[in-house]
This record gives sequence, C-alpha cells and structure tokens, in this order.
Amino acid sequence: MEFKDYYKIMGLARDSSQDDVKRSYRKLARKFHPDVSKEKDAEAKFKELGEAYEVLKDPEKRAAFDQLGANWKNGQDFKPPPNWDEGFEFKGGGFTNNDRSAAYSDFFEQLFGQTGGQPGGRYRQSFHERGQDSHAKIHIDLEASFQGATQNITLSTPEVDAQGHVQIKHRTLSVKIPKGVKPGQHIRLTGQGSPGLGNGQAGDLFLEIEFNNHSLYRVAETDIFLNLPITPWEAALGAKIKVPTPEGFIDLKIPPNSKQGSKLRLKGRGLPTREPGDFFVMLQIVLPQADTEAAKAVYRNMHEQLDFNPRQSLEG
Amino acid sequence: MNSHDLSIVYTGTVIEEDGLTIGELCRACDTHAEWIISLVEEGIIDPYGNEIRSWRFSSSCLVRALSAFRLQRDLGINMAGIALALDLMKEIEILHTQISLMGVNGNGHKLLKKKSN
Repeated sequence: MEFKDYYKIMGLARDSSQDDVKRSYRKLARKFHPDVSKEKDAEAKFKELGEAYEVLKDPEKRAAFDQLGANWKNGQDFKPPPNWDEGFEFKGGGFTNNDRSAAYSDFFEQLFGQTGGQPGGRYRQSFHERGQDSHAKIHIDLEASFQGATQNITLSTPEVDAQGHVQIKHRTLSVKIPKGVKPGQHIRLTGQGSPGLGNGQAGDLFLEIEFNNHSLYRVAETDIFLNLPITPWEAALGAKIKVPTPEGFIDLKIPPNSKQGSKLRLKGRGLPTREPGDFFVMLQIVLPQADTEAAKAVYRNMHEQLDFNPRQSLEG
Repeated sequence: MNSHDLSIVYTGTVIEEDGLTIGELCRACDTHAEWIISLVEEGIIDPYGNEIRSWRFSSSCLVRALSAFRLQRDLGINMAGIALALDLMKEIEILHTQISLMGVNGNGHKLLKKKSN
C-alpha cells in the first residue's frame, strides 16, 4: 500500500490552518475539476484532492493522520503501525456522504474506511429502492455512426461489500452502436445501472457517445469537415476532384476562382442523424515548391504576366 | 468462433432531442425535480414543451445537468455561476473545434493541442 501525503497533494505545510486547507481545496478543485480542466489526468488528480481534503478538513482525521509522523514520503510503501488509531473516533464512512460513487485509495480505506459506511442494519431487508442510474463514456469511430457497430466497453464500478470495503468491480459489456449517433448523445441501457436495494429495480446505464479523432475528418455537432489540399491552378481554373467521404469517394466540382479556406457544402452528407448533418470541404491551396528551373520559370512568368498585388490594402 | 464471440450484445435506446422526461432526468442525475426546474429557470438547460409535465430533455441537457450537479457539489457554485461557467466552457469547446479544424494539416495547431481528445 502506498503512503499518501495529503499535505503534499494539497500543496500545504503541515502546520496550515483549517482556513488554509479550505482555501487550497477550493483553488485546486477549480483547477482540476474534470468538467472544467483539460489537463490529462484531471480526474485522477481531482479524486486524490478530494480524498486529501476529506482527511485534512476533518480535525479528527487530520490529527490521526498527523500522528503517523512527518517522515513518510508520498508513494512510499506503507503499513499502518498497530493501534495507530487508538483513541480516535471517525464519523462518516469510507467515502463522502455526498458522493456515493467516489472510491478512495487503499491507503484511505485502510486508515479511515472501516469505521463507518457499512450497509445493512436491521431494517435493510424490508427496504426497497431503485438502483442509481450510472454514467460512462463510450468512444467510437466516425464510421460506426455511418454503419452501426458493436463495441465493447469496460466499466469500473465501486461497490461496497458486506464489510463496508469499497472495491472496484470491472465488467465488460458488448454494446450495439446504432446508425446515426452523434457526439454528446446518449445510449440508455435499461437495467444496466447500479443494482436496486431489496426488490428494487436496477438503475439504467447512460453511455455518452464520444468520437475518436479521425485521421481525415473533424466532427462538430452533426457536421463533418474535411480539409482538401488543392493546387493553385485547380483553385483558379476550377476542377473536378475525387474527394473521400465516410460513405466513399465522390466527384467534387471546385468552382473557378476559389479562395484559400473557402468552404464547399455537401448537404445531408454529414452524420446520418435524425436530421442529417452536412459535409464541408475546406479548400487548402498548396503552393508548389520552386525547386527546379522549370518551376522557377513558371513563377517568374506569373510575375511578369499577372498584375497582382495582395498587399494593396496595406499601402493606403 | 469461440465462446467470446457469443457474448450478449446489449442494444440500448438512443436519446433523441425529445428523449427524457423530468422524472427520468432527475433519476439520471440522482437529484430532485425542484433542482432540475431551477436549472430550467436559470436557462442552463432548455427542454422541449411548455408545461413541466410535457417537458422533454435532450442528451445535451443531460450532459449539462450532470456537469451542473458536479460543479455545485464539488465547487459550491451557485446557479448563476454554473450558467456562466457552462456557457464559457461551451464557447471554449467551440473555439477548440475551430482550431482543430484549421490545424488538420499541421498549421501551428501544436501549441493549442492540449484538448485533442
């Protein structure tokens, strides 16, 4: 079991006041909140922070933690000394009262997790409650929205066993991805959420669709975007170009005098959702290198033949 | 074909624009109706339908309601603050999408690649 230095996690000195603990938590919580932060391991960091705060905000838990001594290093292998918690009484269970889904580290559970949180009690048998709905994200490829697919997803659910320990259970589900889903949409699997209590029904599982990055396309809502490199003469003179779309190649007409970055819309060729999105081709004019005599001659010829000044507006 | 190939495939229902009733949204967020109503009153989520009983919520309402729930629980933000935070986050997301559209061919997008997942 790894030692967790809750002071280090919260960036605090061991003699910080309770006010400092609260302030530091607020600050770091805003920074690492998974809904706000785009940092890579925000979720793990936020969890760790929550755990640290759970201990340090509570004078009893904090005093018990302090008792372990200041010589432990974060991540160091740790076994609690015998009777280390003698004389301390912890209220509240192994996880916070306001978040039943939080799972804390082994370190936390070992120190603070066993005194409360036991499910059960005398009236449990006659108590029925529908299980909670649970949520997960499922990452799919763009193609799955066009063709439909079946995809495996592994869910990690914290579960409280009869002794009150929280354990992470893994299960894998094969889920059918129907045609025409878009990012942010949900698939609801009835009865696949948390189990109910007593004779209560199980909750539902909501899977939020997220698209994997695609090598060619970008997706925004129901629209698909493709950057299409074209030559200057295709842009200037117009052309017919073979363009990939998720449904196969199409012949796209580039109008003459097309400009860099202009968008061509193919209506209804975006995601095949209930109201299909559009497919946008963004023209990217690529200049050929002037790396041969012939190429240089062409550019020189353009210079001589074309009366072209792109900086007219800068000259006043 | 091995036994793994024969595992059960779960078929769910896709939540369309008019997917969830207020009751279902409450359950999905593990919260009560008053709280959902205050989200609607604050303009954080926008259901289809006029009366509470005929309200229908989309997938994006569910995403926003869950975010709002976590922001309130974890950061103690009030309704107006949640509305502001979610709107700003939406705007940032749109900007990131636009940046990633511009950067597909590698035009200097690496500086801003933080949010690519």
